[in-house]
Amino acid sequence: MTNTKLLAAAAVILAGTTVTAAAEEYTITVWAGGTNPTENYRLDNIELAADLLEREAAINGEELTINIEKQSWSGWDDFRQAVTLAGEAGNGPNILVAGHDDIPTWSKSGLLRPIGDYIYTDTYPLSQIYPNLWDVVTYNGQIWGVPQDAEARVMYWSIPGLKAIGWSDAEIADLPAKVKSGEFTLYDMLDAVKKMQDEGAVAAGDGFAPRPSNGGDYWQFYQSFGGEIADEESGKLVLDKQAMQDFYTFFADAVDDGVVSSTYLGLPWDTWHGSVVEGKYGVWHGGSWHYAQWTRQNGMTDFFDKVQYTLIPAGNENGRANSITHPLAYLLTAQGSEDEAEIAAELIARASSPELNAFHAVKSGHLAIGEDEVNVPLYANDRWLSEASAFLPDANATPNNVNVGIFQNDMFAGLESVWTGTATPEQAVNDLEAKLHADVGDDLIVR
Amino acid sequence: MRTRTSLLGLAFLTPTLVLLILFFIMPVVFTAYFSFTNMSTSTGIGRGEYMLTDTLLRRLKSEGLSQADVDAVSRETFTVDAAGHDTAIAAGVDKRFADDILDNFAGQSFSDARDFERALRGLRSAPRSPRAVKEAARAFTHSALNTRYRTPDELSAVLTAVAPEVEEETRDLIVHRSYTGHVLTTDNFRKLASAPDTLQLIGNTVLYVGLTLAFFNVSLGLFLAILMFYLPKRASGIFSALWLLPRITPMVLYAVLWKWFTWDSGFLPTLAAHLGLPSFNYMKGSIVTAWITMICSNGFVGASFGMLLFSGALRSIPIQQIWASEVDGANRWQQVRRIILPQMRWPILFVTSYQTLSLIASYELIWLTTNGGPGSSTTVWSLSAFKTALFNYTGNLQYGLGAAMALVLVVIGLVASIFYLRLFKFNELLTKPRIEF
Repeated sequence: MTNTKLLAAAAVILAGTTVTAAAEEYTITVWAGGTNPTENYRLDNIELAADLLEREAAINGEELTINIEKQSWSGWDDFRQAVTLAGEAGNGPNILVAGHDDIPTWSKSGLLRPIGDYIYTDTYPLSQIYPNLWDVVTYNGQIWGVPQDAEARVMYWSIPGLKAIGWSDAEIADLPAKVKSGEFTLYDMLDAVKKMQDEGAVAAGDGFAPRPSNGGDYWQFYQSFGGEIADEESGKLVLDKQAMQDFYTFFADAVDDGVVSSTYLGLPWDTWHGSVVEGKYGVWHGGSWHYAQWTRQNGMTDFFDKVQYTLIPAGNENGRANSITHPLAYLLTAQGSEDEAEIAAELIARASSPELNAFHAVKSGHLAIGEDEVNVPLYANDRWLSEASAFLPDANATPNNVNVGIFQNDMFAGLESVWTGTATPEQAVNDLEAKLHADVGDDLIVR
Repeated sequence: MRTRTSLLGLAFLTPTLVLLILFFIMPVVFTAYFSFTNMSTSTGIGRGEYMLTDTLLRRLKSEGLSQADVDAVSRETFTVDAAGHDTAIAAGVDKRFADDILDNFAGQSFSDARDFERALRGLRSAPRSPRAVKEAARAFTHSALNTRYRTPDELSAVLTAVAPEVEEETRDLIVHRSYTGHVLTTDNFRKLASAPDTLQLIGNTVLYVGLTLAFFNVSLGLFLAILMFYLPKRASGIFSALWLLPRITPMVLYAVLWKWFTWDSGFLPTLAAHLGLPSFNYMKGSIVTAWITMICSNGFVGASFGMLLFSGALRSIPIQQIWASEVDGANRWQQVRRIILPQMRWPILFVTSYQTLSLIASYELIWLTTNGGPGSSTTVWSLSAFKTALFNYTGNLQYGLGAAMALVLVVIGLVASIFYLRLFKFNELLTKPRIEF
């Protein structure tokens, strides 16, 4: 090659490099846990946001390309394993969609960047997000996530079942108020479903169909009997032995009454959803988002004619009717450069606009995250969302404590042993106390 | 000459040694180390840092730290002065913006991060990016809270500047407790010794290993081998290939087949319903059927191993002995009892010992089928170790505790191996044959 040719080649290469240097290109990876097919907008909204950001850049005369790589997990165990291990290995994603309760552990271990350092919460669209949701994603005085959705957990009642045991339309319509006031308790519910079974409205053992697996839902029953998960003042976890024993006893009684089988736990979700849609159960409890699963995926058409819904009833005079909300949040990870983190934060902010979030809320049966979202026509016209929103004032979130997940696993293990009859409620609570002392040490107050 | 031979021997051994170090000794060493730490998701695997947080201060207060000290170390001040300006420039803040901050707010103090940030955002030279504004604000902020420091000295220096009145002893305690990483401890073993579910796990494991071995790996394996011994060669070939299917089928696929077989409306429950027998999800619907599922699914894999090994051993029995017994009028059962079984003692012992070790450590198929349920009724030690360390619903992975559980298995395995080596007189197997062939 002659010198001229070499020079020309070099010039071409140089010119190429200059062009690429002016155009910015980013690849942002986003992972979502616990995400069903109806919840695709958790990830898709980031993609839509990337499109918006690229157009904004183009208007400002900048050339910006953002490639989004998305991945979702339908479960939580495999998702959390992937996040933790990939994060430790340094090849995790830039954005996570995870539960607010993951914030304490992941922020302590350095897997997360505090997103509050990259966004203004007082500018649109973040400024219209409900303040109580910001509280849920705040830990140690720092904002670690942008709320992605909200929900209520609900007790569902079969209207045909209630009618079969002689309830009038008016009584059925009154149920939510009676539950809320504490007049109608969990034990009244057991009596009702037992009657449904006796009347043949539902098959034996199908009277009561709780959540078939571990989940935050079970804290609700602890709260129904007056339990408190953490102490407000010190932030420590609380084991209220009486409330825990009453809660365990309630499920042991449900098994004794024959309204749920002793080997019910572990039932596959698909079977559970299928049975709900077929109207096999008398009473069951789940999330507000399950409505989307039943109506969109399983083809249920007559939900409002067949199903009544209330808070989780109080268990006794110590507790209250309640619901747990478990908002997911967009979290910014410690992966990647500062510039990538900044782009990721901008994407998260745009994905949280009322219109984009309404796609997720309506399609997946989740509740609005901000006050402007309820006015978005798509959301405003959805009957279920407006009805389910009524539960929010009585809903609380689990506390942000590093050990709350261990507490939950131990609590559920105790419940399983009572449920399957391998321990009495009293034994299970004593075992739980011993296990918690071993597992979380002095992060525990026993009452 | 001698040295050369041994060097050559060493060279031949090298690949084995490297593999042994990489895939056995190193993992065991790491497991042993992890098991003496409180390593978990929240501490992370690598080195920790020093970070003072609100949570820690609340905790220390409940342990007796005075309110005055808590207030002092959590103090945050925002002062615009020349020193802050220099820090900002050094941190890469735009010079025009830094100058503007100094010109507009010199000597002013703010009590709240948000107010300060808002004031900065109001400046004409303020950058559009929130990150840039917040970075500039940080240069003028004096606080020890929520910053990760690599060394204790760095945090200590900041604390001294922020709260000079706090006594050194208290400061050292705060710094010590602010470490985010893992520390060495023997708590994991204490936990295992006192936890109420340890006994149940041990019981489940012993029962699982014992029953699987007794019914499948040994008895069924032996039965199949003897059956094939008497079958015509062609038939026995097809037969053994069929029995090898569970072993050569990928584990996940094999688990799915079991699900089709035992799940609600699967093959068995449907068949049972037709016959008027109880029909439900056999895999998870009752403790007894879950155990049967767990043992059968693992057993069919193990049976083929026994079958192969025993078949080989049977071939080494001199066929003349069988012929001779037939001449004496012995029937099949007598041949099995008097000729075959006595000569199968060592293969049986070998299969028992070898399979004990592999069954103790295996959990994949249980995880994929019953997943330890219903409740924790089919949870064995290794499955529990895996879930504790690497796979649980709330994602609080307790690497330390899980490693301690795994270490228990390693120790049991090593002790058992040494016992078996002595039992089989391994040394004698390696000595030179006494008869020249």
